[in-house]
Amino acid sequence: MDVKVDKALKITTPSDLEIAMTRMFDAPRHLVFDAMTQPQHVGRWFGCDAFTLLICEIDLRVGGGYRFVMRTPDGSESTLQGVYREIVRPERVVFVEQILMPGFTSPEYQVTSTFDEIGGGTRLTTTILHKSKQDRDGHLNSGIENGVAPAYDRLAEVVAAMA
Amino acid sequence: MIDPLSLTFAALADPTRRAILARLALGETSVTELAEPFDMSLPAISKHLKVLEHAGLISRGREAQWRPCRIAPVSFKEVDGWLRGFRRFWDENFNRLDDYLEELKANEAAKAVLRTKGNIKRKIRVKEKQRGRKSG
Repeated sequence: MDVKVDKALKITTPSDLEIAMTRMFDAPRHLVFDAMTQPQHVGRWFGCDAFTLLICEIDLRVGGGYRFVMRTPDGSESTLQGVYREIVRPERVVFVEQILMPGFTSPEYQVTSTFDEIGGGTRLTTTILHKSKQDRDGHLNSGIENGVAPAYDRLAEVVAAMA
Repeated sequence: MIDPLSLTFAALADPTRRAILARLALGETSVTELAEPFDMSLPAISKHLKVLEHAGLISRGREAQWRPCRIAPVSFKEVDGWLRGFRRFWDENFNRLDDYLEELKANEAAKAVLRTKGNIKRKIRVKEKQRGRKSG
């Protein structure tokens, strides 16, 4: 692709029950779709500095399940699991999902991802639909564990500057 | 006197207290309800709640006898940890996906080159055969 793609992640709340994310990728959509739905690919990028992906199982069929087990910074394990409801490669995938943490299981929510090809690149639109506003807000705030880390980083800088 | 930010960080440094906050992020609740998933006594949970309340991370209702616990979102602006975590998680993941897609694209391009080379070789072989047939 010749034109520089705006890869900024956009997060909005289109309704009281939804969270929507859009992101451009500089690759044809069949690659983006496969990278997000096939275990040998997902294991190569999913997770983050703070989370280590321990288990990545995907049964990509309608009614088939998936399970990602991650180790969190405090050493405990979090699981992201769900069941596929609709699979139209490479256009669209719908699944219901749940987050399991020690002592806490999130309510189920539905995730719809669409892959639109734009000028050789792909626009991914992911809509997360919750059953209640309370559930939705909880999900948006669920980064709390993760969000504390950058705050600590900055605190360390502040302390260093003070010394 | 301890500054408020130190109090906040000290309160957040404990995994049980972070789990309590994660639960409260889903909505207000009573202490009994809050204690349920934890393998801990009510007084132990109450102690954690006091630390969180003292740090200004949660507030407790006075209106009802069961004194519902709820999150105090204002404090989180100070530590900047709220909502940003969700974005950070996906930002990091999608940035890594970008790199991985470059790898996939390169693989695909390499395969296409091999296929073209294969086709050319095949064509040459066919031509050679035809030529062989003509001359033979």
